[in-house]
Amino acid sequence: MIAGAILGAAPVAAQRSLVVAPLVSLAEHRVDAGFGIERSLGPILGGVGTLRSGPRLTLAVRALGGSLFGAKGVLDRDVGELGVEASVATVPWLSLQAGAAHRAYATKLGRQGWTTVDLGAAARVAFAGGAIHGVWRAALLPVVSVSGLRGPDVAFRAATGLEYRVRAATLGVEYSLERYDFPVEAGVRRLEQLSAVTVRLELRAR
Amino acid sequence: MRRLAWVVVLAAGVSPALAAQGGTAELLGQAHQFYERLEVERALPLLRQIVSPNWPFEVTPDQRVDAYKYLGACLAVAGKRDSAVLYFRAAIERDPFTDLDPSLFTPAQLATFGEARRRTLAVAVRPVQPARVDPRTARVNFTVVATHAALVDVKLSPSGAGPPLSLFQGTMDGVREIAWDGLLGDRRLAPAGRYTLAVVGRSRVTGASDSARVYFDLRHEVEALEDTLPDLDRRMLLPERISAEAARHDVPKGLGVAAAALLIAGAATGDLGGGERGGAAVVAATAAVTGVVAFLAHRQHGAIPENVAANARRRAERDSANASVRGRNADRIAATLLLVSPAAGKGAGP
Repeated sequence: MIAGAILGAAPVAAQRSLVVAPLVSLAEHRVDAGFGIERSLGPILGGVGTLRSGPRLTLAVRALGGSLFGAKGVLDRDVGELGVEASVATVPWLSLQAGAAHRAYATKLGRQGWTTVDLGAAARVAFAGGAIHGVWRAALLPVVSVSGLRGPDVAFRAATGLEYRVRAATLGVEYSLERYDFPVEAGVRRLEQLSAVTVRLELRAR
Repeated sequence: MRRLAWVVVLAAGVSPALAAQGGTAELLGQAHQFYERLEVERALPLLRQIVSPNWPFEVTPDQRVDAYKYLGACLAVAGKRDSAVLYFRAAIERDPFTDLDPSLFTPAQLATFGEARRRTLAVAVRPVQPARVDPRTARVNFTVVATHAALVDVKLSPSGAGPPLSLFQGTMDGVREIAWDGLLGDRRLAPAGRYTLAVVGRSRVTGASDSARVYFDLRHEVEALEDTLPDLDRRMLLPERISAEAARHDVPKGLGVAAAALLIAGAATGDLGGGERGGAAVVAATAAVTGVVAFLAHRQHGAIPENVAANARRRAERDSANASVRGRNADRIAATLLLVSPAAGKGAGP
């Protein structure tokens, strides 16, 4: 795959292009609500549609959904997410990003909704030849609204990975982690974490 | 007082020239009036005064030719044919274009003038008139004259370089218009510069020879030409091969991604633990391997096919644009106009 990306790279994308990227993740959700760490793990499927509008501005919409299976008496839960994100390239290797998303966790006992707003940056560094890029992302989530809970004191997302471009397709592999530290209530501090390894295949349509 | 002195000085300097012009013109005018009233006896002394070396006033070449012509006409009327021929010849020698208007002169005068032309060979070419000529549709015209039947050779030559172009070679008698298409012997548009039009004639009656030449300047009027696009230098082309130094940077880039994955998985998870450290390790390992493989592959192959293709596309676009520019410039050059203007210098040939 690496050799294919190096030796069979495609021409650079046009100024205005639409990219559709199906993705699959293996996600792990961890929650500590004062009763020990609850862990659930499972696949998430989804897709990201990215519209590059001009040389600097990119708009993206994503839709994800999957099931996380609990371990040792933890309830299974379904997760779904809709999100939008805008990205402005400041320099060729760095872009600023802002986005909003709504996520829902559903168990057989109830449903919890998350609404988030994130502000961050992404750095992309090309390997020699330009067919491979290393990607680093970091974002703060200044607005997080969780049904039934006060908003977290600390919320951030970090990710890193690689993108391999072969002709009109780009394969991305990324490790990401979201962390939420909620304020102490009744002597208990709630912590949540969602980590994922994601494989994404971008198909460029002009 | 001082201003008055200047006026006197200026008047003293200017007035003789004005008086000379007025004196000759006035006397010539009186002679014309006497001639028209057929008072040739009164016209002749006036005309002789004008052509006399003792005449104190300036006489222009045209005035002198006119005086000789009317002297001949008067003497022809007076029945002094030989003298009339003599003065007509003097007029013709000074201006070969001299002619008598049949509506103003008698047949005897015309016959006498014809005799003078037969005895005198003179060739001449009129000074070139300023003109703006499109050589595709119009011609530059020259007017030459031979006073009687003569073998005439009219040649045009760029001053200082190039072989002359023969515009006319043959027998002519009288005035003739000669057209020039603006091309030289190589059938290319005549370059800008100074040109000489030389006329050489040899009488078919007396065997005498004469020559004359005029000069003119030729300029081109052409619409401004477009510049072609410059050669594509290194700054305008994408690198077609990966440098060894760039390839070496792939290793730290891969390690950078690997380190970030491990850092996120290890440091950020804190008291919650986990965080799919196995997944982070997989991504880290993939990044590290990618860096090493990319370094090895680029060091071995090094070519960047998409850059090669992009450069080829840019070169083709540049060549196409330059071909269009050259085509438009060729059209503009083909539409070059010739600007003809008289130049200083006139006289008999070598």
